[in-house]
Amino acid sequence: MPHDHSRPPVLQAEGLTKRYGRRRRPALDGVDLTIPPDRVIGLVGPNGAGKSTLLHLACGLTEPTSGSLRVLGSRPAADAAHLSRVGFMAQDAPVYRSFTVAEHLRLGARLNPGWDMAFAERRVREAGLDPSQKAGGLSGGQRAQLALTIAAAKRPDLLIFDEPAAALDPLARQGFLQNLLRFVADLNAAAVLSSHLLADVERVCDHIIVLSDARVQVAGDVKDLLATHRRLPTPHVPEDAELITGSIARFTTPPPATAEAVTLEELVLAYMTRADKATAHAYQEAAR
Amino acid sequence: MIWLAWRQFRWQALTAAVATVLAAAWLLYLGGDIRDAHSAALSSCRTRPGCPQAMADFQARYRETMLYIAAGLGLGLALLGTFWGGPLVARELEAGTHRLVWNQSVTRRHWLATRLLLTVLAAAVVAAIVSALVTWAASPVDKSGGNRFGTILFGSRDIAPIGYAVFAVTLGTVIGLLVRRTLPAIAITLAAFIAIQFLVPNLVRPHLMPAKTATMPMTTEAVNHARNLGSVTGGPVIGGITLPDEPDAWISATSPLLTSDDRPLSTARFNHCLSSPPKTGTRGTFGDTAACLGKLNLHLKITYQPATRYWTFQLLETAFYLLLSALLATFALWRIRRHLN
Repeated sequence: MPHDHSRPPVLQAEGLTKRYGRRRRPALDGVDLTIPPDRVIGLVGPNGAGKSTLLHLACGLTEPTSGSLRVLGSRPAADAAHLSRVGFMAQDAPVYRSFTVAEHLRLGARLNPGWDMAFAERRVREAGLDPSQKAGGLSGGQRAQLALTIAAAKRPDLLIFDEPAAALDPLARQGFLQNLLRFVADLNAAAVLSSHLLADVERVCDHIIVLSDARVQVAGDVKDLLATHRRLPTPHVPEDAELITGSIARFTTPPPATAEAVTLEELVLAYMTRADKATAHAYQEAAR
Repeated sequence: MIWLAWRQFRWQALTAAVATVLAAAWLLYLGGDIRDAHSAALSSCRTRPGCPQAMADFQARYRETMLYIAAGLGLGLALLGTFWGGPLVARELEAGTHRLVWNQSVTRRHWLATRLLLTVLAAAVVAAIVSALVTWAASPVDKSGGNRFGTILFGSRDIAPIGYAVFAVTLGTVIGLLVRRTLPAIAITLAAFIAIQFLVPNLVRPHLMPAKTATMPMTTEAVNHARNLGSVTGGPVIGGITLPDEPDAWISATSPLLTSDDRPLSTARFNHCLSSPPKTGTRGTFGDTAACLGKLNLHLKITYQPATRYWTFQLLETAFYLLLSALLATFALWRIRRHLN
């Protein structure tokens, strides 16, 4: 996708910290992050890493404890105009149980000036949803389809999905993610989706953020990351490389041809393992 | 947004409409019944000399009904607050649907303002209808000496119930926003609203305007006009007083029985009159006791609001509740934007 530098970043965080309650460990701890526009961004990390917190902050459902966050150049959920530019599909795809599918579309139409009813109706048809069915009786997958439709039919510039495929079985998951990709392309929107399953993210994203232990461990375009990370053939770490974990290292200059390429999964796991070890170490320090 | 607010409110609105129709039917029936009894009492006045007795019987017949109506209306308004206000935000937070609706192109403030306004207006309309019917049904009783300015009845007449209804719904909404769960919100709102309904008439209402005071000599006749003597704690108190020259005034405080030097009558002398008064053959509610007390040259200090202030108090009390509601709503609109973590 072409990069357009005249447009503000999709998401820009500086020292972003979120604490729930004074005593607890922060859910996000001093996150600095810039996401350029026009990408499909994958947010990966173990459960409890702070993925939902980051996405809730991005759509203004919570406020940061400290630090700043700008989404499409302004404060999250700043006003109605900004709300109309960001579509959010929350985890577990919440819908009104007593509303029918058609009433959900009506809700979307009433609450969003840019609502595309033709698109929404087509989507509902394609997903095989009965418009007169009450949302309380939908399966997890159907609910996800409905929530996805509501988030997309307002034609936002940025779509945020919090674990969109979590409720789906593996087969439905594949179709759903493909659908999601098509939307993003159709809308010419940027998308951020979180998942604790790397496979989901790998399939659809061209930019990933690894969030673990309340911090961003690594972020970048998938192809750049794959190009700069290599498996070291010997325990010796070259000067232009930084060892992550095991034998996986990041090169600041083009890596030597002798070094073996790594898969995205190995790369992500290396960063998560490092974060895990750092936490374990910090705990040991604290215990002393 | 109005569509959504109505869509989420329609079952509650329907339930309230049915309840209002039932209440209205009963109040219309009661109003007719009261009017029949009133004209019967009036006609007995024209033909026989027992007029005061007939009117007193008429009053006595409906005294309890009036209290039940006031209590029922208060409870009904509390239920509006709990079942309309309490779940308004709390149910969304509980079901997680706030994450859906707050991400449409409508700000949370706009969303809350629209939903709250619709609910508050509906509550005000229900309260106005029921209150108008109660006021109409009770008017013969009120006009012939029933005390509509009294601590309990005042809140079930004219415009005051509208203020209560608006307040109940706003209070419920704010509590739901703070506790974030429907059932606790309902329980807390119910308790809080009832507590406030008890506190305001006793602590706030007497001070809405500077009260007047009067000294009332307690002659035998005056004692006999009272409704009750003594108390569970055994003090020299008297209750159910009406001022002779201001029979419709609201008496907000009554001193104990005072002797001529402004000291409370000793409990021993009071009990003597109460339990073993000298036989004089005096008639009336308290008979010999009244005669015994009447001889002691006692008086009462009475704090009261004249009956002419009834409408001022209706306006002030309604304004007080509306002001509280406005403060609560402002807080909710601020809170929903700032602190939802």
